[in-house]
Amino acid sequence: MDIISPQRIEPAATPSAQRLALKLEKVRKSFHTNQGPLEAVAGIDLSVGTGEIVAFLGPNGAGKTTTIDMMLGLTAPTSGTITVFGKSPRAAVEAGEVSAVLQTGGLLRDLTVRETVTAIAALHGAQDRIATVMERTDIMSLAKRKVSKCSGGEQQRLKFALALLPDPRLLILDEPTAGMDVAARHGFWETMRQDALEGRTVIFATHYLEEAQDFAERTVLIGKGKVLADGPTAKLRSMTGGRVVSATLPIGSPTAVAISALEQLDQVSSVRLKGQRIQVTGPDSDAAARMLLGQLAATDLEITAPTLDAAFMELTGENS
Amino acid sequence: MNPTYVRIELTRQFRDVGNLMFTVFMPVLMYLLFGNMFGGGGESAGNGNVKFYIMASMAAYGAAVATTSIAGTAATESLLGWGRQIALTPMKPAGFVGAKVCVSLIIAAFSAGAVFALGAMTGAQADDWRIWTASYLMAVFGASIFALYGMGVGMSFKSETAIGVASGGMVFFAFFGNVFLPLSGTMLDIARFTPMYGYVGLVRWPLLQGSGTGADAPTDSIGLLIANLVAWALLFVILALWAVRRSQARR
Repeated sequence: MDIISPQRIEPAATPSAQRLALKLEKVRKSFHTNQGPLEAVAGIDLSVGTGEIVAFLGPNGAGKTTTIDMMLGLTAPTSGTITVFGKSPRAAVEAGEVSAVLQTGGLLRDLTVRETVTAIAALHGAQDRIATVMERTDIMSLAKRKVSKCSGGEQQRLKFALALLPDPRLLILDEPTAGMDVAARHGFWETMRQDALEGRTVIFATHYLEEAQDFAERTVLIGKGKVLADGPTAKLRSMTGGRVVSATLPIGSPTAVAISALEQLDQVSSVRLKGQRIQVTGPDSDAAARMLLGQLAATDLEITAPTLDAAFMELTGENS
Repeated sequence: MNPTYVRIELTRQFRDVGNLMFTVFMPVLMYLLFGNMFGGGGESAGNGNVKFYIMASMAAYGAAVATTSIAGTAATESLLGWGRQIALTPMKPAGFVGAKVCVSLIIAAFSAGAVFALGAMTGAQADDWRIWTASYLMAVFGASIFALYGMGVGMSFKSETAIGVASGGMVFFAFFGNVFLPLSGTMLDIARFTPMYGYVGLVRWPLLQGSGTGADAPTDSIGLLIANLVAWALLFVILALWAVRRSQARR
């Protein structure tokens, strides 16, 4: 398979034709640690056109947060250049063109929700947007509550409200749903969807493949400080080796015959057997399922979507 | 500097009762305690009485503790990620530090004001209203060097306990800075090199103009007091800058 190539598989959009929201050129960042220099970002090239919604997918320690920090001017790259709407990141922040929901902390626990919004609004000169933004993110009812008394999901909505204050054209979200339960996560993305309709450019980092799938048209897969793959999210899904179909073969049936029959199927990349339990991996799960249930009389059929871990092993060639 | 931001920050500080205990109530209480310890304090001292001397000392202590602890919170706030949140707004780091120093000086003014008000009510006297004014203004604005100290220590230790460490250090500096009790002999010789000595000496200057509390007490020139204040101000600037750079490099 040629999917390991870090080049764009197929452009999700053509950023060059539109105006560019964000451009990263040969961006590197290394830190000095006690164990010696650490290259957190090892050369990233990326262009995002206005109006695109891009997922930054990668495991912890892949360099997502460092890259986002550089896009926002919070840290300077060791080498390479970053432009946001043709300006330096700091200039874009000052102009209110880019804003972000950062991953950890970022709120004063002893302020109320309204005070927090008012303080940040004052710094942006956006007092007129306070009511709109609080309604949009559904925190009006929390206005008088102390930040320390808000749940993780409520704090995240507050941070989202702060990010919307300057009415940014580019919104960056670093793991916005980390630490939320399922209901809160759904609620958050529901709000995001409404917002996306206004035509903002959105970049969000996540390590949930489902979030990328549900929300982004384009996914940039990051690992070890590099872009591993960049393309339409649907395409990425098939690149990750497809779904896994597993089932239990009836006792006494010849397993070797079953394995070779399954391997004959189109688009099956691997067949594994553990006792009577058989695992078929490939993009065409339907055909494998049909054969397992029909011809092979297997029971307890399960179909699972690829996990990010699997995707990474596939793309980095670290097959176990 | 942003007035709305300063106002919200100020409300927040005034809600922190635990901190106000240290920055306002304690100096007030210590004035009452020390003020009555030396036989009423009605004896004359310089251009006023002993009560004024103790009042000025405690006001200086309160103002310095206020700036230390409040500026110290700037460090812990940036550790909690508020600094990153601020970095996403047009406000620059200098604006953030400026707002913090401004808030800390307002609280210092409040703290010193409380001690001065109580002093005025309980018999502190000076020959001229200008002595009151000069002494008060010196206490408030001189306390700004301890804002640098608080910020520097806060940034260096990088933890919630940093403010406690910085404020605890102030008690030590105050004792060895001739603030609480008049020192003499070797202790006084050492005291002349400690950070609160010059500051508190200048706060008392309008009253004493260099003379000690007693007849045999040693005298200091205003030059020595200013030299002490300026030298420590420079040291604290270096400490604060070093700590800020260090915290940025590690991020």
